[in-house]
Amino acid sequence: MRPFNYIAAKTRQEALTAIQEREEAKYLGGGTNLVDLMKEDVERPEHLIEVADLDNDRITANAAGGYTLAAAKSNSATANAPEIRKNYPLLSMAMLSAATAQIRNMATNGGNLLQRTRCPYFFETSMPCNKREPGSGCGALEGANAKHAIFGWSKSCVATHPSDMCVALAALEATVSVQAPDGSERTIDFTDFHRLPGSSPEKDNTLEPGELITAIDLPKPQFTEHYHYLKIRERSSYAFALISVAAGLKIRGGIITDAGLAMGGVAHKPWKLTSAEAYLIGKKPSTTHFEEAARLALEDAQTLAYNAYKVPMGSKAIVRALEQAYAKKA
Amino acid sequence: MNSYTSKGTGNPINRVEGKLKVTGMAKYASEFNVKDLVYAQGINSTIAKGRITAVDTSEAEAQKGVLAVITFKNAEKLAQYEKDLHPLSTTSIQPVLQSNEVHYYGEYVGMVVAETFEQAQYAARLVKYTYDESKPDIDFQASKPKAYKPTEQSDYSRGDVASGLAEADVTLDETYVTPIEHHHPMELHALIGSWNNGNVQAYASQQMIDNAAKTIADTFKIDKKNVRVMSPYVGGGFGSKLAAKQHVILALMASKAVGRPVQFTVTRTQMFTNTNLRQRNEQRIQIGAKKDGTLTALSHDTLSHTSTYEQYQESCGTVSKMLYKTPNNSVTHRLMPMNLQTPFAMRAPGEATGSFALESAMDEMAYKLDMDPVEFRIKNDTQVDPSNDKPFSSRLLNECLRLGAKEFGWENRPKTPGTMSEGNWLVGYGVSGASRRAPFMKTSAKVILELKDNKVYATLQMDATDIGTGSYTILAQTVSEYLDIPVAQVDVELGDSEYPVTPGSGGSWGAASFANGARAACEQAMKDLKVKAGATDATSTAALMQASNLNTLEAEGTAEPDEEYKAHSVFSFGANFTEVWVDKDTGVFRIKRMLNVASCGKILNPKTAFGQIIGGCAMGAGMAIAERTEVEPNYGNFITRSFADYHVPVNLDMANIDVIYLPEEDKIANKMGIKGIGELGITSVAASIANAVFNATGKRMRELPLTPEKMILK
Repeated sequence: MRPFNYIAAKTRQEALTAIQEREEAKYLGGGTNLVDLMKEDVERPEHLIEVADLDNDRITANAAGGYTLAAAKSNSATANAPEIRKNYPLLSMAMLSAATAQIRNMATNGGNLLQRTRCPYFFETSMPCNKREPGSGCGALEGANAKHAIFGWSKSCVATHPSDMCVALAALEATVSVQAPDGSERTIDFTDFHRLPGSSPEKDNTLEPGELITAIDLPKPQFTEHYHYLKIRERSSYAFALISVAAGLKIRGGIITDAGLAMGGVAHKPWKLTSAEAYLIGKKPSTTHFEEAARLALEDAQTLAYNAYKVPMGSKAIVRALEQAYAKKA
Repeated sequence: MNSYTSKGTGNPINRVEGKLKVTGMAKYASEFNVKDLVYAQGINSTIAKGRITAVDTSEAEAQKGVLAVITFKNAEKLAQYEKDLHPLSTTSIQPVLQSNEVHYYGEYVGMVVAETFEQAQYAARLVKYTYDESKPDIDFQASKPKAYKPTEQSDYSRGDVASGLAEADVTLDETYVTPIEHHHPMELHALIGSWNNGNVQAYASQQMIDNAAKTIADTFKIDKKNVRVMSPYVGGGFGSKLAAKQHVILALMASKAVGRPVQFTVTRTQMFTNTNLRQRNEQRIQIGAKKDGTLTALSHDTLSHTSTYEQYQESCGTVSKMLYKTPNNSVTHRLMPMNLQTPFAMRAPGEATGSFALESAMDEMAYKLDMDPVEFRIKNDTQVDPSNDKPFSSRLLNECLRLGAKEFGWENRPKTPGTMSEGNWLVGYGVSGASRRAPFMKTSAKVILELKDNKVYATLQMDATDIGTGSYTILAQTVSEYLDIPVAQVDVELGDSEYPVTPGSGGSWGAASFANGARAACEQAMKDLKVKAGATDATSTAALMQASNLNTLEAEGTAEPDEEYKAHSVFSFGANFTEVWVDKDTGVFRIKRMLNVASCGKILNPKTAFGQIIGGCAMGAGMAIAERTEVEPNYGNFITRSFADYHVPVNLDMANIDVIYLPEEDKIANKMGIKGIGELGITSVAASIANAVFNATGKRMRELPLTPEKMILK
């Protein structure tokens, strides 16, 4: 590993000041992804500013009638918090499907949003990768791309975002609070937080330099009765999703009145299934409607040489997730 | 059971070395406290084929703590291979950094030696290589025209397969594919080596001590007497530590260059690129049978790859030569040179992969014949090994199948595939038969008896290894039995080349060979003692020592196969039963339960033996579910390069595994009647899982692993 400086920020202001004063500096949360990538020489920060101890255990009620998750709180503590289990069981279920207990204990909420892709070309520094080294090309486009995107990719990058938590947050329509080094604060709609690769895949998200994620704001409690997170993977734990689906339904009087649907493992960002959500609202829950929702969701899929299986698998997964969500408290 | 008072073999005592292992007191190769130790880090090529045209070591050499940067330019000249494309078994040397040529991605192209591990690792990235790169041969399909007949063990036949197929009522012709896999023992390959005036001392994680010493001696062209290898504990090997790999040579080369002891620990990513692999196999099976299930023909043709400079093949077809009675049989193996490492034996080489093909094909054939797959196998049993006409020393395959079927509830299986379900799950049962050679090899041991407070304490010494299997425990039990003293009075010392020579751990011969070697030493000690004691009423070992007026006694013994052993085929046999639940839509399946029935001679310690079979079943399940090393199609690197992407099963993937040992007495195998079990457990497990998937769904999966992707596309 390259030598680096370590700075433990005691306050948020200290962290913001520290990053402003330094080149090649990065915030350090749980380090479950960043430190791995430093060992691989993929990430090469000269300064690490630890922010994992800031405001560590806050889950607070917010003005929207929902809850706000502190960025530095651990994934385990968040997923297991009574207010999250009760009010956002879809989020809890998605978070607990991720990684391993040990990794979830270390990983922070803010860090989860900033996970880098698992694309093997990104990890191997001798390979071309526009995300790691802009202009070097995309090895996966004509290479080993079985685990790559079927939506929103570009010739520059076909990588996927690996998070489970973010798929649920997309379905729930959360927002992300961030603070800039100059102290100014702003919020970003969750679906605008991550971006598509386009011609600049080195940018995973819409954060500006030095901005620090301070919190994730959840709307009013949602999909507390009908929800399911389905994750299809190559083994039952400690594996990234080939395909995942976060499905939440609100059913009143036998009619779907609200739907939250998003997929993981299919795009450079958590993929919100807007057309499928719109289709389901006003319908009676039924396999026929779920299948039509899946068809709409996958209509625009564009497969690569080795990932065509993601279309039938995605379709089956959407239908199954909706069936499971509906069956939860039918 | 209390380890301290028990005597003898056959008792499920706790491991005598267990406490040392769980408290961290058992020292593994890289843990020895050696004075003035420095660290070496290997540098790997970033192309799969070509030549190094320039190396710039200046930046690395300028780093703090760096003692040496060694590349092909300044590496010591070592022994060279005598000819190109030699069979791996014909050489004992491991030359490294001898030329500028690159044969596969990740090949060692240099090494940095530094005061600390971190300095070595950082500086290794700063060595700059310029390559003249060629298009590598990494495409399995495209390499097929280059397939050749290997020098060793390639073809076998008896009778005439074509006429056997012609007289069959039902025939089958299918191809089964197994992927590249890696051994991945938990303990990384590691060495602490020192070169001191032509004398070598090495703490090395090796399965075979004597073999490692020979490789070191032959590669550096020194006398083996000057090489001491110590490997008291080995954290798993699965075949990858049978031979000393290149890092062993690199570490000693570094020590010689800097004049200090050197630690070289292979990284997990280097465990993919520099410690060999199990190759991809395409196995074509043809079977002919009469309507009543009698086999008329069986052929097994295997196509694999090896490196561009060395031959190695797994004998996948071995199992088809001997497992079932068939008059017409042919087996071939072909190799393709590719820009990938030379493959090397991985747990049950040949059997684990060959049995997936054969036992899948036998299952397919049973369905074609509308026969119960258990009965179809029993129908074609043979008590004589058809490949060499030698009787089996003992073969209880039919009994394993029958008992397993009864205990598993085989009669409840859906007779028609895809007809049993539970919610969204389709339920299926699968079976497979297993065989694995149970070799016994020449082994020596020394035992030292001491009389203290009227008690006899014994120390056993041999260069045998404990690769996690429990060698210390079974040997303490053996000495306890043959000297008639409690286990607590026995001390076992292993893994040092100064001790009597054994064949080491591998090929399922460890337990039988080591225990018989220890037995021979103990018998010699008792014989010597009785002679020395003269006429006496004394019966206990302690009384005999007193009668002989001895406080200490040393004896050596050697056990080796006898004529009867050589006149027989000696195998362990078993049967696997699996229940799987397959999601009807999503491509996901779960192993619900497994039963392994094994007939493998005397069980020295049921507790450690269960561990081995269960571990084998888990590894077999890994083959079926997940294990696969993927080669990047354009550049030839492995895209699976850590445990995050090379998937082995997690606890949730594993079922309840039950193991039944069928009692078996086989004194032809060796005097103690011990047969190896290290590899029997993995054999044909993948077939029983794939067969269960077929029974559940009607989908015949002929390519491992059975990933959700393959399941959904089928």
